[in-house]
Amino acid sequence: MTSATIKLDNVTKTFDGRVLAVDGVTLDIAAGEFFSLLGPSGCGKTTSLRMIAGFELPDSGRVHVAGRDITDLPVHKRDMGMVFQSYALFPHRTVAENVAFGLRMREVPKPDIARRVKAALAQVALTGLEDRKPGQLSGGQQQRVALARALVVEPPVLLCDEPLGALDRKLRQQMQFELKELQKRLGVTLVFVTHDQEEALAMSDRIAVMNHGKVEQVGAPTEIYERPRTRFVADFIGEINILEEGGRARALRPEKIRLVSDGARVSGTVDTANFLGGSTLLRVSIADGRSLLVRETHAGERASRLPGDAVGLAWNDADAVTLES
Amino acid sequence: MAIASRPSPIAWLLAPALLLFVLFFVLPFGVMALMSFYSGNPATNSNAFLTTRHYERFVFDSAGIYHDALWATLRIGLITTIVSLLIGYPLAHWMARMQSRLGHALVLMAVIAPMLTGIVVRTFAWMTILQDKGVINTLLVDWGIVSKPLPLMYNEFGTVVALVHIYVPFMVLTLTGVIGRIDERLEQAARSLGAGRLRAFVEVTLPLSLPGILAGSLLVFALSISAYVTPSLMGGTDVLTLPMLIAQQVGTSFNPNFAGALGVVLLLVSLLIVIAYNRILARLSGEQGLA
Repeated sequence: MTSATIKLDNVTKTFDGRVLAVDGVTLDIAAGEFFSLLGPSGCGKTTSLRMIAGFELPDSGRVHVAGRDITDLPVHKRDMGMVFQSYALFPHRTVAENVAFGLRMREVPKPDIARRVKAALAQVALTGLEDRKPGQLSGGQQQRVALARALVVEPPVLLCDEPLGALDRKLRQQMQFELKELQKRLGVTLVFVTHDQEEALAMSDRIAVMNHGKVEQVGAPTEIYERPRTRFVADFIGEINILEEGGRARALRPEKIRLVSDGARVSGTVDTANFLGGSTLLRVSIADGRSLLVRETHAGERASRLPGDAVGLAWNDADAVTLES
Repeated sequence: MAIASRPSPIAWLLAPALLLFVLFFVLPFGVMALMSFYSGNPATNSNAFLTTRHYERFVFDSAGIYHDALWATLRIGLITTIVSLLIGYPLAHWMARMQSRLGHALVLMAVIAPMLTGIVVRTFAWMTILQDKGVINTLLVDWGIVSKPLPLMYNEFGTVVALVHIYVPFMVLTLTGVIGRIDERLEQAARSLGAGRLRAFVEVTLPLSLPGILAGSLLVFALSISAYVTPSLMGGTDVLTLPMLIAQQVGTSFNPNFAGALGVVLLLVSLLIVIAYNRILARLSGEQGLA
C-alpha cells in the first residue's frame, strides 16, 4: 500500500462568520506516520480533520496531500479512507456490501470486489459475518467493519475521528494495539483525532496538541509528555505540578518527585492518597496553602503513606520544565 | 393468577379513543354498508328489501360513468401524490438538514401556515389565479405570449394543482421526521468512499428514507382520493370523482343506498392500496433491517 504526506499550510476556518474553529494551523505529516490531533472538545481537531477529508473548506490556507494541492478537490475525488466516531455504517446494507461500497464506486470488476472484500474482512478478523447487518453486530465488530470499509480501497491516507471513543475501556485498549499494528503493516498515513491523551500517547508517532483552534505543540509522545512547551500542554497531558519560580512557570511530573527523609526541598503533609493499582497518587500540602501531586510507584510492596503523614519531597532541577508564558 | 386475567385499569384510558372510533367510524360505516344492501331506507320504508343491485349497477356500469369516476379518482390521487412527493421531498430534505434552528422554525411555519386557512378559501384563491380572467391568464394574454387564455382550471390540471397545494404539508411533515433521523455522516461516509453527492444521496439517504416516502405517499393518496370540495370547485364539469358522485347521489338523486355502495367501493379500493403499501413497506424494511 502506498502512503502520502499531508501538509496543512496556515489553514483557517470560521463557522457562521464568528466562531474561529481553526486558527492558522500548519502541520507537516510524514508518509506512513501515525499522527494524532489531540485536544479538548472544540479545540479544532475535528474541523482540521474534516478539512483534510474535504467536508469543510478552509477560509484561507491550503491543504496538500502527496505534494499536490487538494484544497478545492471534492471529497469523493480525494481517495482517503475515513472512520467516523459513530462508524457511519450503512444500516440498510450487509457487512460485505458496506465493505464493497468503495470498490463499487471505483468500478472495480465484480470478482475482484468479492476477493478484496474477503481479504479486508479477514484482515480485521470478521470472516463469517459477511451477511449480517450492522445492527446485528457489537460495537467492536462495527468498528472493525468501518475500518475494513475504509481500508479496502487501499487509500494512501486514513482519517480517524475518535474511532475508539464509543468502545469500553478493555476493548478500546485491544483496538489500540490492533489499529497501530495494522497501520504499521499497511504503511498508510494515519491521522487520528482524539481527546483521550492516553490513547494519543499510546499509539502515535507524533502528536499535535491543539487548543482554541491553534496548535500548541507538535512532537513525539515522550517529547510532549516530558518536555511540554506550554502550560496548556503540560496541564492537558497527564498529572502535573506547576511551580511558580521567579515569575516563570515550571512543570514537574508527579513521578519525578521523590519522597525522602533527608535533603528535602520542601516538606509537607499527605492530604489524600489515591491507590491506582500500579502506583499511588499522593496530594501533599506544602507551605502557603499550596499542594503538590506525588506519584509513588510500587515496586513489590504497597506504599504505606497515610493521610496526615509528614513527608519530605525532592526532585532534580532538570526534571522541572520551564514553560513558555 | 386471578389478577393477570383482569384487564389492567390503565386499559380504561383507551375508552375515549375506542368510543370515538366506534361513534365516528364503525357506526357510520356500518350504517352505510347496511344501506348499500337495501333497496330503500328500512327505517322509514317498510317495503325496503335486501339487494345487491347497487353493486351490480356499479360493476356492470352500462354508461361507463362510474368506472370513469373511479379511474379519475385514482388518477388524480396518484398524480397528486407523485407531484407532492417531488415538491415535498427536496423541501423536507432541506428542512431536515438545516443547521439553523431559526431557519428551521421559519420553514416549518411556512409549511404549516397554509393549513391554518380553510380548504375552501385556499381553493378559491387558486381560482382567482388560474381562471380564464385570473392572474396568470391575464398576464399571459396582455404580454401576448398566448392569444387566448390557457385552460388552467375546470379540468384535472387545476384540480391537481389545488390538491397538491393542500396536501404537500402532510408529505413534508412526514418526510422531515424520517430524513431528520438519518445520520448525515452516512452520506459523508459514502462520499469519502468515492461517491459524488448525488450518488451518495441515491445510495444512502434515498433508500433509508423509503419508509417516509411510502408513509407520506399513502397519506396524501388517501386524502386526495377522498377530497370533495377541491375537485368540485376546480374540476368544473370536466372532472367527476367518486366523492363527487357520492355527494350527487345523496344530494341530487336522493339515492343514499347507491351512494353507500359507492362509499364501500371507495373504501375497499383504499384499503387494498393501503394493504399493498404496507406489504411493500414491510418487505423493504425487512430487506434493510429497519423493521
